[in-house]
Amino acid sequence: MSAAPVRASANRLEQRLAELRRRGGKGLAPYVTAGDGGLETTLAVLRALDDAGAACVELGVPFSDPIADGPLLQQAADRALADGTTLAGILSTVREFRSGSRGRPGSELPVALMSYSNPLLRRGWSALCRDAAKAGVDALIVPDLPPEEAGEMREAALSSGICPIFFVAPTTTEPRVRMAAEASRGFLYVVGRTGVTGAATDIDAATVSFLQRVRAAAALPLAVGFGLATPGQVAAALAHADLAIVGSALVRHIHESARSAPDFVAAAARAAAGFLTELRRGLP
Amino acid sequence: MSGPPAHGFAAPTRFGAFGGCFAPETLMAPLLELEQAWLAARADPAFAAELDALLRHYAGRPTPLSPARRLSQCLGCEVWLKREDLLHTGAHKLNNTLGQCLLAARMGRRRILAETGAGQHGVATATACALLGLDCVVYMGAVDAARQRPNVLRMQLLGARVHVVEHGQKTLKDAINEALRAWVADPQHSHYVLGSALGPHPFPSIVAGFQEVIGREARAQMLEQARALPDAVLACVGGGSNAIGIFRGFLDDPGVRLTGVEAGGRGPGAGEHAARFQGGSPGVLHGCHSYLLQDADGQIQPTHSVSAGLDYPAVGPEHAALHASGRARYVSAGDAEALAGFQLLARCEGILPALESSHAVGWLSRQAASLRGQRVLVNLSGRGDKDLDTVARILEPEP
Repeated sequence: MSAAPVRASANRLEQRLAELRRRGGKGLAPYVTAGDGGLETTLAVLRALDDAGAACVELGVPFSDPIADGPLLQQAADRALADGTTLAGILSTVREFRSGSRGRPGSELPVALMSYSNPLLRRGWSALCRDAAKAGVDALIVPDLPPEEAGEMREAALSSGICPIFFVAPTTTEPRVRMAAEASRGFLYVVGRTGVTGAATDIDAATVSFLQRVRAAAALPLAVGFGLATPGQVAAALAHADLAIVGSALVRHIHESARSAPDFVAAAARAAAGFLTELRRGLP
Repeated sequence: MSGPPAHGFAAPTRFGAFGGCFAPETLMAPLLELEQAWLAARADPAFAAELDALLRHYAGRPTPLSPARRLSQCLGCEVWLKREDLLHTGAHKLNNTLGQCLLAARMGRRRILAETGAGQHGVATATACALLGLDCVVYMGAVDAARQRPNVLRMQLLGARVHVVEHGQKTLKDAINEALRAWVADPQHSHYVLGSALGPHPFPSIVAGFQEVIGREARAQMLEQARALPDAVLACVGGGSNAIGIFRGFLDDPGVRLTGVEAGGRGPGAGEHAARFQGGSPGVLHGCHSYLLQDADGQIQPTHSVSAGLDYPAVGPEHAALHASGRARYVSAGDAEALAGFQLLARCEGILPALESSHAVGWLSRQAASLRGQRVLVNLSGRGDKDLDTVARILEPEP
């Protein structure tokens, strides 16, 4: 075995977050399920989110049995799988997003790949991280892979220059918050409340005290997610975090806006940009 | 290896290379707490005494060991049946649900969540909840709810709320997804009574621990009634809780062959069966690393079995380890063989077995020539009353 992996330099995500902090800024981290509406739509949506000022993007690799997701994201995954979406296809899409195509220049928007253990493990952590880094992926987020089970994934990610990102939830104890923060690079994923993705969130007193508890225990930038849908919720979340993750509401808005439009791809891109622009009103 | 951070769990989380705890972070604290409570209960004689009294005076343990005389004559080997079909509610599932519901009550959890495939685990959970005064929600796939209608009614009569799951394949896998989501949403007040020896640590160990009473009793009964250990032990394997329950009684007897029978369904094609060891490969589903049926991209494949209780794409991690070490072997019997086993046991012994257990009987009947003269112990994990509609539809299809 090689010695502990050493990385030459910070990757796109770490650079972007450092820049954000230097300016004292906050950002939006939209989530989309790759292949929902086809991968051509995904590419157009990624570009639209970049243009609309996303700080980074989370790209979901659909899985047949997403136990931490609510019905909206499960349906999006089902649509993507029915459309024949594969990990290989998603990585090609990221490559095209990075390199540019059809007269459109490449993008430097940080991309975090997000999926469950099984579809990623199928390729093997080393091969996955190598291929993902080559395609232009900057981070890896795996909701059913707690730090205890992530030894191999973490090593493979770090040696490919990819940020492994772990979760903390309101049920997470103090020592586990520190463990997740130490294991993560880039940002720490803060689940704003107990529950699956997509249910409505109020930033209540308990959530605020939880976010403050995490902030005190972790130096890493915090990305808070689960259920954010309005500029008001984004503003409330960002009072205690660096990034606001917007997933289910965005996925639903894109799907509902585009599904009966004559040009699905263009409509999806417009819907994504419009939604993000609206949520940016919640930025300080 | 850059070592993973120190584990919060006290007990081993793996069986060889399999098992582990692949759970969302929201569930890690409840799982850690559950492990602590389970270890404390295991060390507490009062807990053991309370569970033992319930098993004895309420559930009907010990269950009998029956010599299957006419079946033995018919097959040319000496067949013994461990009669879990005679346990209250008609299957081995109650061993686990009484144990886990007692544990939940001890932890102050008043709301019990469970998944069910055939309905047996749902009925056993609803029963334990009624007995102990706990609230009960059972998640069941729409396909299973339709083919196991009597068990839906049973659960409702016992005071449980049956939540019918309408997405995915609408069977056991999807019911587990939904139950896990419900637990993720309310981990502080709920306990999830997982019905088989699978899922994230500590569930595989907890469930096997509550089921190993089957093997403990069966071993002692064999020595007393047959004056010898069996040459082979047979059990059907869905998630694998009845099988691990009886296997654990014989793990240290190297002369006893352990054979698990998976559902061969309609044949070896993708989506036609639930034979994980023959058609599957290692992967992660529902919190544990084990053998599962998946496609080249790691998507979980659909399964089929005439028996809802075996219709599941993954197998418990302890079985994966027994398979890897060669201590147990895993074979399969198809729908038709299970039906034949069902009829054979009915006519020879006056017992209607569950279609799940019928897979073990069906395989035994097919392999009888190679088992000639041997002493074979079959775990009859449940009774077949719940399957009468299914069996009738197949044997006498409507014109």
